[in-house]
Amino acid sequence: MKKEYVTWLVRDEQLMEEQELELTIRDLTPGREKYTGLNVKAILSSSPDKLPDGDILWIRSGTGVLHPQPWAIKITGDLGEFLSRSPFNYADLLAK
Amino acid sequence: MAFKDNRQFIEALERTGDIVRIKQEVDWELEAAAIARRSNEMQGPACLFEKIKDYPEGFGIFSGGIASYRRLAIALGLSPDIPVRDMFAEYERREQHPIKPVVVKDGPCKENVMLGDDVDVFQFPAPLIHDGDGGRYLGTWDIVINQDPDSDWTNWGTYRFMLHTRRALVGQPLPLSHLAMLLTEKYVPANKPMPVAVVTGADQLSTLVGGAGYRIGESEADFAGALAQEPIELIKCETSDLLVPAHAEIVIEGEVIPRVTQMEGPFGEYTGYRSRPGGDGVICQVKAITYRNSPMITMVSLGTPIDEAGVSGGITMAMAYKRRLKKLGLPITDVSLPLEGACHVVVVGVTKGGNEIAQQVRDALTSRRVPITKIIVVDQDIDVFNFGEVLHAVGTRCHSVRGVMIKEHPGRGNPLTPCYSTEERAHGLGATALLDCTYPLDWPENDLPVKSSFNTIYPESIRQKVTENWQRYGFK
Ligand SMILES: Cc1cc2nc3c(=O)[nH]c(=O)nc-3n(C[C@H](O)[C@H](O)[C@H](O)COP(=O)(O)O)c2cc1C
Ligand SMILES: [Mn+2]
Repeated sequence: MKKEYVTWLVRDEQLMEEQELELTIRDLTPGREKYTGLNVKAILSSSPDKLPDGDILWIRSGTGVLHPQPWAIKITGDLGEFLSRSPFNYADLLAK
Repeated sequence: MAFKDNRQFIEALERTGDIVRIKQEVDWELEAAAIARRSNEMQGPACLFEKIKDYPEGFGIFSGGIASYRRLAIALGLSPDIPVRDMFAEYERREQHPIKPVVVKDGPCKENVMLGDDVDVFQFPAPLIHDGDGGRYLGTWDIVINQDPDSDWTNWGTYRFMLHTRRALVGQPLPLSHLAMLLTEKYVPANKPMPVAVVTGADQLSTLVGGAGYRIGESEADFAGALAQEPIELIKCETSDLLVPAHAEIVIEGEVIPRVTQMEGPFGEYTGYRSRPGGDGVICQVKAITYRNSPMITMVSLGTPIDEAGVSGGITMAMAYKRRLKKLGLPITDVSLPLEGACHVVVVGVTKGGNEIAQQVRDALTSRRVPITKIIVVDQDIDVFNFGEVLHAVGTRCHSVRGVMIKEHPGRGNPLTPCYSTEERAHGLGATALLDCTYPLDWPENDLPVKSSFNTIYPESIRQKVTENWQRYGFK
């Protein structure tokens, strides 16, 4: 059984095929832990045939609109629980 | 006496027929929120979901607690049928007398304690509220608590938080929130994580003040006490010195880690739209969870009016604006934000009108952040709480050239407002339209149109006769 994930784009140009990307996905396995977040390195493809050992990735726009066709995703690395940057520009906020 | 917790409040709502207990199993994924949303849009009752799919019996969700002024009146211990004007006056009166909280040793929120490796936020039925939201929100109708390390200021804010991993929530207190301010000014320079508690299922008045805009240094708990007319009971966290409402359903104790982040959102917001992409959120790394037996998450199924976020903004923004206008000595009667306007439309009543006064009102309301887009100023014969009357004034008394004044507010606009373009949001551009519905001051009194309403166009004697004979005429 292929696993299913979902991702939300911030910009459409994030979607690039057949090269390793870094992205945040959420696990759609049914049950209590559905929507657990993962930061991964992965290769994506719009045609599942090109990634036969890949899983399913549903794609949503920035405002959450679902693309009708899922892509394929092959996870190649784990980037850890959090992303290493600050949520705010602290220097800018302090200056205000 | 105020309700110490949602359980007492729910009993009161049952007595007045203002809640539905849903015993049939519902899905945390969309179904619970869709039910609550539909009830909100029908101006129906609050919802208590008692059985949630994938979760044990008793782990529930409570939604729509004060999603109407009627239920807010009940939460305030007033008659459900009190006129909105009178409820606002009582709220204003109570808010002037803050009451400090008391610290208790024991409280129901400690009935269960999850620590260390056992910590798992997925053990609670956090709902997926809208199809396409970026995650499951454990914190919507919540209070997030943090402390100024250099004073006794404890800040409460209502900021959304969603599940990320078993031991992490991610939320989006905005850069100008007090949480972000304390983090930036006190914890980041000291290179320290900031203790925080995300509380879901606190009593409704405490949660209401979480969403209200008090000043830097003012502790929201004192104002919750003011509204309840008695001190709120607080209890110390297991893993920090923070004090949290002792009767809350679920307390997530954690730390904000300043230099990491995670994608948060998108989310269908209080404007009634999901209008912007997700972004870098604030991480709460969870250290402990304490919760009551049969805990219930409080959820606001946010969207188009009316829901409890709208009621919250409707009353708390009106109070804050009224304080500001009065302080400046402007001749105002009352301020309201019609709930249908999703906190974007303000109506101000004035005892003395004219363009100049209207513009002074506008300038006062737009001197800081500008979450509103329309400001309606009406003469005192218009009831600012009756949107039908207000619309009548907008249609008939607001001159479309002289009476409409547009102004831009660069840097102070609301990035959530759907009518702003991506470009405008990025630069904080915002604008207001002032709709001056007052008669110009230089119009001779005798030339003023005479309003043809029952109360204004008949002599006192006729009005008295008609009201006295009303039933005799055959009316019920
Ligand atoms: C249901 C609800 C959700 C809210 N979510 C957020 C949020 O996620 N981030 C935020 O900055 N403000 C949010 N607000 C608005 C803040 O609660 C409000 O600005 C409050 O004044 C913040 O407290 P503070 O002034 O102590 O920062 C929300 C309000 C409500 C009623
Ligand atoms: Mn505050």
